[in-house]
Amino acid sequence: MSLHLLDLLQNSANAGARNVQVSVVEDEQSDLLEITVSDDGKGMSSSEQASALDPFCTSSSHKKVGLGLSLAAQAASMAGGSVFIESNQSKGTRVTVRYRLSHPDRQPLGDIAATLVSFMAGNPLIDVVFEYNGPKDVFRLDTKQIRTGGEGQLAFILKFEEKLRGGLSSAGYRPDRGGLFHEINGRS
Amino acid sequence: MKSMEDLERLKEETLQDIRLRASSGSPRIVVGMGTCGIAAGARETMLAIIDEIKVRRKFDVTISETGCIGLCAKEPIVEVHIPGQPKVVYGNVDPSRGRQIVVSHIVNLKPIDQWILNVEDNS
Repeated sequence: MSLHLLDLLQNSANAGARNVQVSVVEDEQSDLLEITVSDDGKGMSSSEQASALDPFCTSSSHKKVGLGLSLAAQAASMAGGSVFIESNQSKGTRVTVRYRLSHPDRQPLGDIAATLVSFMAGNPLIDVVFEYNGPKDVFRLDTKQIRTGGEGQLAFILKFEEKLRGGLSSAGYRPDRGGLFHEINGRS
Repeated sequence: MKSMEDLERLKEETLQDIRLRASSGSPRIVVGMGTCGIAAGARETMLAIIDEIKVRRKFDVTISETGCIGLCAKEPIVEVHIPGQPKVVYGNVDPSRGRQIVVSHIVNLKPIDQWILNVEDNS
């Protein structure tokens, strides 16, 4: 599932976003897992929004398929959820993916830290605000706050990864926790 | 040019250009991170490359990413740019290959021939 998140983040980067907000909420009371990515990229027109989930529709000029959002939508619908897209052409896009937390086919979250670290490595100029609402605690990390400006790219990535992994584990994050089916098969 | 926001954006873009030019003297690694790359394991390859660069203390290496280049069957794809040398494109780069590329190509300047998909000579 964290790979779908990486795909959504890449969409934001391709839309020219400078600031991206990522939120992951595990709400056991209402049995909901919600992943939201909102950016300040170029946004989509209403017709683009209408066909965004279609695997044979893409904004790219050199290929014929656009699988990122459609694959995320498929994973969500298998787990009793869905994808919502809100977009404004001058302000950016917000994609919300909802799953039923306890659904047997809900994929495990996977390594979210790996997703964010590899995204930051490839897009060092984008600022990310990440918020995780876990079983134990809420964890929030803003890349603007950990940048010092003078450090190298690698030093920044390593610092980001350290803070991210520490914060996630103290908020009760479990990458391998998925629906019944995935728990039995031990897939991630 | 319409507003302060446009002006800010132009400033950012120009600064980015300057940074790219400033780093043109150092090696650069580009990992393909389109949907196909992600599905093939580009995220783990990227993390392995970051870790190997850390271990080898090659802090001047710049890491970046690109989208799908149309060779989805060969993903994860990794490009290595060394200043003054042709650009080398590697295919099927799993984490272990990624580490070996860092050691052999970036540190020791010896490309690994059997994994190369393409060599582009820009000079």
